[in-house]
Amino acid sequence: MLEIDDLHASVAGNEILRGLSLNVKPGEVHAIMGPNGSGKSTLAQVVAGNEAYEVSGGTIEYLGDDLLQLTAEERARRGIFLGFQYPVEIPGVNNAYLLKAALNAKRAHAGQAEIDAFEFLQLAKEKMALLDMDPKFLNRGVNEGFSGGEKKRNEILQMAVLEPKLAILDETDSGLDIDALRAVAEGVNTLRDPEHSVVLVTHYQRLLDYIEPDYVHVLSAGRIVKSGDKALALELEEKGYDWIKEVANG
Amino acid sequence: MTSNLAMDAAVDVLGRLPDNGLGRSRKAALRALQDTGLPGTQNEDWKYTDLSEAIEISNDWLRAGGKTAPVDAQSIAAVTAGLEVDWLIIRNGEVDLEALAALQRPGLSTTLLSDSEAPRETSNGLASMNLALLRDGIVIRIDPDTDLDRPIGILCIDNAAIARAASQARIVISIGAGGSASFVEYHVSDGDSEHFANSIVELNLEKDANVDYLRIQERHALHSQTGYLRAKLDAGSRLQHGAFDFGGKLVRNDLHIEINGPDAEAHFCGLYLAQDGQHIDNHTRVDHKVGPARSAQEYRGILHGKARCVWNGKAIVHAGADGTDADQANHNLLLTERCEVDTKPELEIYADDVKCSHGTTVGQLDETALFYLRTRGIEEGAARQLLTRAFAETIALQAPIEQLQQRISEGIARKLAGMSSGDAA
Repeated sequence: MLEIDDLHASVAGNEILRGLSLNVKPGEVHAIMGPNGSGKSTLAQVVAGNEAYEVSGGTIEYLGDDLLQLTAEERARRGIFLGFQYPVEIPGVNNAYLLKAALNAKRAHAGQAEIDAFEFLQLAKEKMALLDMDPKFLNRGVNEGFSGGEKKRNEILQMAVLEPKLAILDETDSGLDIDALRAVAEGVNTLRDPEHSVVLVTHYQRLLDYIEPDYVHVLSAGRIVKSGDKALALELEEKGYDWIKEVANG
Repeated sequence: MTSNLAMDAAVDVLGRLPDNGLGRSRKAALRALQDTGLPGTQNEDWKYTDLSEAIEISNDWLRAGGKTAPVDAQSIAAVTAGLEVDWLIIRNGEVDLEALAALQRPGLSTTLLSDSEAPRETSNGLASMNLALLRDGIVIRIDPDTDLDRPIGILCIDNAAIARAASQARIVISIGAGGSASFVEYHVSDGDSEHFANSIVELNLEKDANVDYLRIQERHALHSQTGYLRAKLDAGSRLQHGAFDFGGKLVRNDLHIEINGPDAEAHFCGLYLAQDGQHIDNHTRVDHKVGPARSAQEYRGILHGKARCVWNGKAIVHAGADGTDADQANHNLLLTERCEVDTKPELEIYADDVKCSHGTTVGQLDETALFYLRTRGIEEGAARQLLTRAFAETIALQAPIEQLQQRISEGIARKLAGMSSGDAA
């Protein structure tokens, strides 16, 4: 589904990703871990199509297409979803409006008609119940005045409604209390099936207690330096990241 | 340079104005104007807004005898239709007597200024010019403890179809203690000749009075306007003011609020949307004479093409006005490189126990928000429009008088669509 090969990317002249390769197949859940500044968020931003990041080498193939040729909105319409580490507050744009516009953009790309208002409301409420969100959030400005946990739930709500083929969740677990963490995990686990893939970018092992990954990768200085199964995450939790830096340098 | 009216022509026109109770006031005002002149750009408060052209329009009109063209009834209906508002109408500066007589409600009295003892404000050059050339004004009085549930609309409509023209409008409103009312001041104009309209509004809120006041300006692209509103707030009174400028060529609004009693509150917000050829200047001033009291304002502007805007918010906390809480915000979105805005918050504090804050920004759309929307599948152009619209709508949502919100939103949409079609051209 997603094949990243020898990716180099920089932001404001600083090379962050230095030859990163990653292969995500349909239905797989990958966890990307690593210390601060290792390039985790850069990877998420580049795959989602943020033009502030310059790709200076390597390739990304998504469902057989050259992903780097597509705009951010085209990527979204083809099923890539980025859950933001810091979801943006957009006062004046109604949460329900954005949710519906996003869903209709995806449907239009798939040649489907716009969702009808009643059907949309049903769908949104069903997903909100799953995430234990109050339906009144639908009528507020996008993330406007939401707490940290509410913003992250709102990201997961969007993901749940859009049912992306590939969801990249950038530190969705950071700053969450245990209830919010469970709700987020519930959203991801509900999406999980042989068609849908998830890339979890996380600093801590904690989220992986609730979402069991198929693969765990450790990122250091812009490259994947070690890959394994969930046992690797536990090892990291135990030994910290310094150990990995030694492995990378050795 | 101090500009002034062509006095000989003004005296001629003044002599032909309706012979009512305003005669002596007009002459006194003209004499005052002769001394003070109209504000010029050497005046700090007017350094960005040059009235020379508006004064020339007035002088051409005076020299041609001060004639006016008729106003099309359809233009009036276009504003009033579909609103649950009782309208008073001022056409080319002339009060519609029929509408004035028709507005009968318990606890409400409306009269012509010429039949009233109401004070006739002339504290600045534009107010003097207004009174000197005023055909007549409207005086509105709400009795104590009267709650007017239906808004009163004041439609100032001008037509400059034949030649350059000028008009004066004056409204004096007082709300008795504990009274409550809402007002819509609506400015529109048509006709392809240049026009200059100059309005003065006096608003007095007695103890515990409550006023929602909305001003909407949708003038023709060749028409200029100056508007001065002074509100005096007594103890425990509350004013919520919203100002929306969509049209006009050169527009200058002065909103002057005096807090004269403790526990008074003034909340005001404004939105100006300006494109090529437009100059919109909003000056606000709050005099906190007594505390504790609160004033809060947020103005926003969206500029396109070679638009030029000014926001100047002054808060003066006078000696002894302890417990004052004054908050000012002005945010501007510049959609093109050639537009320009001057934003200036000013605080003068002469009391000890006060809480004052201000924040102003000038910038472009937030790139992070833009990317966020694009990652949700919203096409870049649509995302830009959505964010621009949202920037304006946050002010629309704060505006008083809910039934006008739809009208304001339509105004925003129409204006922003005009800006984006300007991009294509």
